Formats: sequence, C-alpha cells, structure tokens
Amino acid sequence: MKVKAKLKKDVIKVKALIKHDMITYDQAKKKFGDREKSNFVMHVTAKIGDAVIYDASTSQFLSKNPILKFQAKGDKFKKGDKLTMNWVDRSGATKEKTVKLK
Amino acid sequence: MERRKFLSMTLGALALAAVPVSVRAEDYRKLKPTAWTAKTVDDAIKALYGSTATIEKGVTVTAPDVAANGGAVPINVKSNIDAKSVAIFQDANPEAAVIVFDINEYSIINYDIKIKMKASGTISCVVEGKDGKLYVGKKTLDVALGGCEG
Repeated sequence: MKVKAKLKKDVIKVKALIKHDMITYDQAKKKFGDREKSNFVMHVTAKIGDAVIYDASTSQFLSKNPILKFQAKGDKFKKGDKLTMNWVDRSGATKEKTVKLK
Repeated sequence: MERRKFLSMTLGALALAAVPVSVRAEDYRKLKPTAWTAKTVDDAIKALYGSTATIEKGVTVTAPDVAANGGAVPINVKSNIDAKSVAIFQDANPEAAVIVFDINEYSIINYDIKIKMKASGTISCVVEGKDGKLYVGKKTLDVALGGCEG
C-alpha cells in the first residue's frame, strides 16, 4: 500500500493505492470455478491518533489495485502527525501503513 | 401453510428485523449484510437505509461520459450536506453496492474512487443527511469495455 498525505490550509488531502487483486464473485467463478474464492477489500480506515478521518466499507466492485483519494478537516492536526491507514479483505488479511502528514 | 411453519417464519423475520441496531455505525458490512447482496439499486438503498424515498439534490457525481476501461472507472462524489453516511451504488454489475463511507466531524465529502463496471449504467450516490432524509446524485455513463470479468 502506498499512502501520501498532505496538510494544506487546514485540509488534509490523502491519496492511497491499495495493491489488491479485488477478485469479484464472477471472476472467482470463472477462474477457480468457485465463487467463494473471491477476495476483495472489505473495509478501509484511516486514523490520526484516535481520530478516524476515513472509514469505508467496500465491495468487490472497486477496481483492481484501487486508488482512493479523500479529504478531511485538518484544523486540529499539524504537519508531522502520523496517519495510519489499514484495510481488511475477505480472507481476513490485513495491511497497515503509517505516514507523516506533509 | 402449516401453522407451525408460519410461526417459525414470523419469528425469524422478527429476529432479522431486530439485528441491525448497533452502537457503532461503522462496519456496514456487518451491520447491513443484505445491502451488499441486493441486486438492484433500490433494493440496496432499502436494505441500507430502510427507505427508498430520495431527493435528487445537493450531491454531485463526476465520471467520464465514456469510460474506455470498465475495469477502472474513476468517479468523484462531492456534497456539502451535513451527513451521517455516503453510499455509492451502480446498476451494471450483479450486485449494486460499491462502497459506504461513514461520516464524522472530520470528514469532507469529496471522495475519489475507481470502480469496476461490467457494462454501461448509472452510478447513484446516496447521502444520508443528519435530518434523516436521503439525497441522491446520479451519473449515467457508457462503458466501452466491461471490466467485471477480468
């Protein structure tokens, strides 16, 4: 996962790239003959300290290696604060990445 | 219908209806499991919010008019509504729900995501306002090459 976070004029702008195949039920059926072998990111969160600035429940219809861009109010944060992003997929795998606000 | 069957079915329906009340309105996959298997946009909105009465106002969905690659259609949603949650649906794929954002005091509703679309269709973005009303924005686009089969 690649994450970039910028703080400018009290607005946090975040760009994240999740490396994930995002196999839909249809693709799993075609590829493995079993739709239960699908695997996709189900939940993405971003936090600064205890503050949740991004919380998304996702389905199989995000693209492969999806790029997520979002903004959040940044007046309570400062440059150098640590932003932690993580995701969980259908198989239970999880990945976490921490970056500093620039 | 046999009386016994009827009773057990009623009980089951009641139990289902009672489940989705949770303290933390965050994980919509656990909270509203039926919303993710609903086949049509209306069914998914109903499963998620319990109503299909929407107001077409205040939500902007931006996407290309013609998407060359249905495997990654860039879309952007924007809104200034004081909201509780934002959900995106489309009507081209086998199931309707794409993503549900939980909105809190830090959130700005300006999200960019890339989605898969099997065929041409309409993207609907539903914003659940704090006033309890559902606001919707729509965008219809053509997909040149479907991206759901991989």
